[in-house]
Amino acid sequence: MLTDFLQLTVAGLSQGSVYALLAVGLIAVYTVRHVINIAQGEFAMLAGLGSAWLTASGMPLLLAVLVAILTVTVVAVAMERVIIARVKKLTPLLSIILTLGVSTLLQAIMLLVWGPEAKGVPLFPGTNVLIGGVSIRSQEFWMLGALVVVGGGIVLFYEKSRWGKALRACAEQPVAARIVGISPIAASVLAFAIAGFVGGVAGVVASPIYLSLWSGGVLLGLKGFVAAVLGGFVSFRAAIVGALLLGMIEAYVAGYVSSGLRDGAAFLILILVLVVRPQGLVLKPTAVRV
Amino acid sequence: MTHVTTPAPAGMSSRRARFWTNNKSTLIGCGVLVALMIVVPFTANSSVMNIVVFAMIFALPAIGLNLLMGLAGQVSLGQAAFFAIGAYTHAIMLTKLDLPGPVAATIGVLAAMLVALLVGLPLMRLRGHYLALATLGLGFIVMIGVREWDVTGRTTGIYGISRPSVFGIPIDNSGFFLWFVTPFVVIGLILALNLTRSRAGRALSAVNDSELAAESLGVNTYALRLKVFVLSAGFAGLGGVFYAYQVAIVSPTTAEFHLSVSILLMVVIGGLGSVWGAVAGAFLVQFLGEGMRDVIPAIFPGASGEVQLLGYGIVLILVILLLPGGLHQAATTLWRKLPLAGKRPPGDAHAHSAAEDTTIPQLPAVSTPVAAGEPILVISGLTKRYGGVVAVDDVSLTVPAGSILGLIGPNGAGKTTCFNMISGALTPSKGTVTFLGQVISGRKPHVAAAHGLTRTFQNLQVFTSTDVVGNVYMGRYRKGRAGVLRGMLGLQSGEQSAHHAAAYEILQSMRLTDAADDSASDLSFGKQRIMEVCRALAAEPALLLLDEPMAGLSSTEREVMAELLRRLRAAGLTIVLVEHDVAQVMSLADQVAVLDDGVLIAHGDPDSVRNDPAVVVAYLGTDLDEAEAELTELEEHA
Repeated sequence: MLTDFLQLTVAGLSQGSVYALLAVGLIAVYTVRHVINIAQGEFAMLAGLGSAWLTASGMPLLLAVLVAILTVTVVAVAMERVIIARVKKLTPLLSIILTLGVSTLLQAIMLLVWGPEAKGVPLFPGTNVLIGGVSIRSQEFWMLGALVVVGGGIVLFYEKSRWGKALRACAEQPVAARIVGISPIAASVLAFAIAGFVGGVAGVVASPIYLSLWSGGVLLGLKGFVAAVLGGFVSFRAAIVGALLLGMIEAYVAGYVSSGLRDGAAFLILILVLVVRPQGLVLKPTAVRV
Repeated sequence: MTHVTTPAPAGMSSRRARFWTNNKSTLIGCGVLVALMIVVPFTANSSVMNIVVFAMIFALPAIGLNLLMGLAGQVSLGQAAFFAIGAYTHAIMLTKLDLPGPVAATIGVLAAMLVALLVGLPLMRLRGHYLALATLGLGFIVMIGVREWDVTGRTTGIYGISRPSVFGIPIDNSGFFLWFVTPFVVIGLILALNLTRSRAGRALSAVNDSELAAESLGVNTYALRLKVFVLSAGFAGLGGVFYAYQVAIVSPTTAEFHLSVSILLMVVIGGLGSVWGAVAGAFLVQFLGEGMRDVIPAIFPGASGEVQLLGYGIVLILVILLLPGGLHQAATTLWRKLPLAGKRPPGDAHAHSAAEDTTIPQLPAVSTPVAAGEPILVISGLTKRYGGVVAVDDVSLTVPAGSILGLIGPNGAGKTTCFNMISGALTPSKGTVTFLGQVISGRKPHVAAAHGLTRTFQNLQVFTSTDVVGNVYMGRYRKGRAGVLRGMLGLQSGEQSAHHAAAYEILQSMRLTDAADDSASDLSFGKQRIMEVCRALAAEPALLLLDEPMAGLSSTEREVMAELLRRLRAAGLTIVLVEHDVAQVMSLADQVAVLDDGVLIAHGDPDSVRNDPAVVVAYLGTDLDEAEAELTELEEHA
């Protein structure tokens, strides 16, 4: 009994770390541009499918993974420069339509280039561990490790470094930030680069177990959104905790109820949270002066 | 007296003529659509037929989504979920319960609306992105639900849906089916068009311009948006019903996210807020999808599956970047360039030049629910804290009906904060506001407005998407009754034209009729301010809150405004005004209240307040010499 529970917990935590990375990307973009990036999940799928293809054509795993992550980072920045930055007055409505357009376009490109089948990157090096009957696969260590290193790195970057503080300033006081010389363009580019980078990392570490599929990004991105909502859409730490909880709840639903209902859990949680505590989840209301 | 003549409630012939002029474009458009749909089955080959049939089916959810996006300003990324709920419910009612077609279809549509109501009740309170993502989640839940539930046939879905028959004729080919679906699309189209032009539709478009101003005029944003959301789900459900008939199999793919994307694309291509655009968009997207399915495999050998998404993604991005108004924008631009469009008829019956308005204009109506001198507004212990800062500190005041109270004070004294708490825009930290015996503080602005309290704004809140008379017309919202249903059925043109005439009369009282048909955003700052006062007066309020009504006005305009306010007071209206022009306040107000640093430091008739040393110090600092000089200047003014 207990081993089953712990086994599910391990699976949930590793899956949750992927959601956490996506939530970090969503929050990074949202705080600077007030855009919910529906293409966030596609970044992960793009990196997964890309590195699967590179390794299949003979590139060493480490190199393939790095190339894929960097490519996705460039794609994210290009998305900001070529599309998002061109709209002067970006209302929530327009930003949803635009990022949905990018998401659809990326899906179609992945479908055309790599076909409709799910593909996986080879397992990362390492050995599986068995502790008290609970087996932890080496790839799951990689997933959790990615969250600790990359997610933790981003949190530290925001809280300690000059650039990170500047980004936070842009989010909280855009006009003041501009006055003290923080370029809104640079801040926006950096935010999208972070989103692409964490999306890419999440995609490659999850791919060996959970596989990458051209159409899988929407569902994955939406779970990142659920985690971000649990974190109030401002706090990286709270979102990461929310993501890990979400991963565990999903694993328990799949293990104890039905694996088919697993994906429904996230959205029931989303709707429940929005119903029960909407005021706590809405961002600091932008005060309209009248 | 220059009196606007209201169109007389005439006999049948002129009513018919008015119906024709009001609905000309709708009737022509529907006529063309119906004619096309009659002809198509005789001319088109089977693949084109197929596209046309599906375009008509998907036009229904597209019209619904267009209402939601254009009117309620909200996106649903789960329109396919409601489409699927309609289709599944219809199919289950037909195949499992053997219900007659019309009953099954009605239940299908109602089921979609019920789910929308349950989801919308909590979610329509939230702004921004939440509805979009929650509906996206709902789409996945519906898909998972139908895949896991025995009643919905799990992954295989429900099949064996028999074709309907009308008057004994079985609808068993595409031509008949097209004729079967067309009347429903046309009716849906007309209902949607009526709704956008109705009282509710105009209110929602005002909400999109300025939610605060619209609510201050009595618009219950939440309730209206919820109704539109439920309605849009109903349209999607009806589309699903026809889909189930046409395809005869309902499978989990009907709830797919990509279907929601294609419906969204139809609306975006057609142009947000354009009902006709949604129909045109449905046809374009069906043809685009079919074309992409032919072209892409030719370019990329071996490509299969949902390759049309490539086109969808590119078109979505390009439309937003290059043609944000969609086909509707393209069509209107083209129309203006065509010579046959002609110019707007110069000077209709309402347009008067300002010069001839030397006579005393008619006074707008006011409501006087309590006798003059009785307390109409009671403020007690009103306090607003922001963190450690106290913006308004324990202010208590009573305003008698039929008087003017001037609220003055230095910048940052908390005047506007007070106003916002009285009108419901802000919730007080402590204290209450009682208007006509009802506690209105802490409730939404539309509650206060419903009781007869309207206001203007220091930072103007103009409805920019309509003209000047349209702005004032919105002020009549409180006096109207027609709801969403009556609006859809078009049963309110009498009410609308009466309000329109009233709006003109009010513009005349501020000598603004010559600008009536100008776009509200083109007006000068001062004129916009006057327009806001007219808009507030149009609601026939019992209490009018004016936030700096004189700022930006010329001296002539100030005189007109002051004279109007005096006459309104004589007619029994109660007015509270915040104003920087102290001389003007002193000469207008019966009572003056002075705020400094959030504290009420003086309250009384203008003379006693003017000589109050605390007021002088608050206004002019501690330099008493300078204070005295300013004081004499003030007295000279008064």
